[in-house]
Amino acid sequence: MSLSSQEASASLQQVEEASRRSSQLYFYHCSSPHLIMWGIIWIIGYGGTGLFPRYGWWLWLGLIVIGSVGGIVLGHRYKRDGYASSPYAWRMGALWAIILFFVFGTYAILPPHLDKQFCAFPALITGCAYMAIGLWRGLRYVISGMVVATLTLVGYYFIEPIFFWFAAVGGGAMILTGLWFRTA
Amino acid sequence: MEQPDPTIHQPVRLKIMAALKPLPAGEALEFVRLKAVVGATEGNLGAHITTLEQAGYVGVEKDFVGKRPRTRVSMTPQGRRAFDAYVGYLQDIIGAAG
Repeated sequence: MSLSSQEASASLQQVEEASRRSSQLYFYHCSSPHLIMWGIIWIIGYGGTGLFPRYGWWLWLGLIVIGSVGGIVLGHRYKRDGYASSPYAWRMGALWAIILFFVFGTYAILPPHLDKQFCAFPALITGCAYMAIGLWRGLRYVISGMVVATLTLVGYYFIEPIFFWFAAVGGGAMILTGLWFRTA
Repeated sequence: MEQPDPTIHQPVRLKIMAALKPLPAGEALEFVRLKAVVGATEGNLGAHITTLEQAGYVGVEKDFVGKRPRTRVSMTPQGRRAFDAYVGYLQDIIGAAG
């Protein structure tokens, strides 16, 4: 029953490939509901800011709180559905916290002069963050990030009114990404 | 060199164990996702899961999500130890040859 070193090496490669693929699918599965939720938040946030620009900051503040609480609720719901834990759920929440901290920190240091700068920056950062995650976690994240970042730049340079573009494209892309991850 | 664990020493069962290993302890993988990772037919995969379950290496839970039946497979602590030992066995072979 003993193996040659070539056979052992081939078996280890199979082990690594199966582990990598399984880990990737699991990550997609865990991040899917968070992406859908944040997609909805983006639609409400950008759409609401477009309709009521004076209240944009307050609207986003409320939505960020809702998103943070929603992330915790989704983690618990995941647990309730019979999964032992949701180890990536809190990381997804933490990722959003880091992105938001970076965005608002940058706004404090370098205040945006135009509405479309205010709009495009978080979307661009989010797209880049997706691409970076995808380097470790799978091609679907890279593709989603590229789509979000590219559409952000298209919107910045060519589309008016910008808020509704980001509501539809940013939020829509996130929801579609979440649904796409569900099928993985 | 000691003999490998005969339960894991089979390509499909090795892949099943490898797919379950990276999940957090107690976490399960749905049958359909496991099938996609392992690349086996449903019947073949089911038979190998049963073998692993009988050895105490995996746990199988069946329930319903709405009206849709769902089967989930997780690795037991005993299975985790057996898999680690098997991977160690493979690494020893490569180490001895190199």
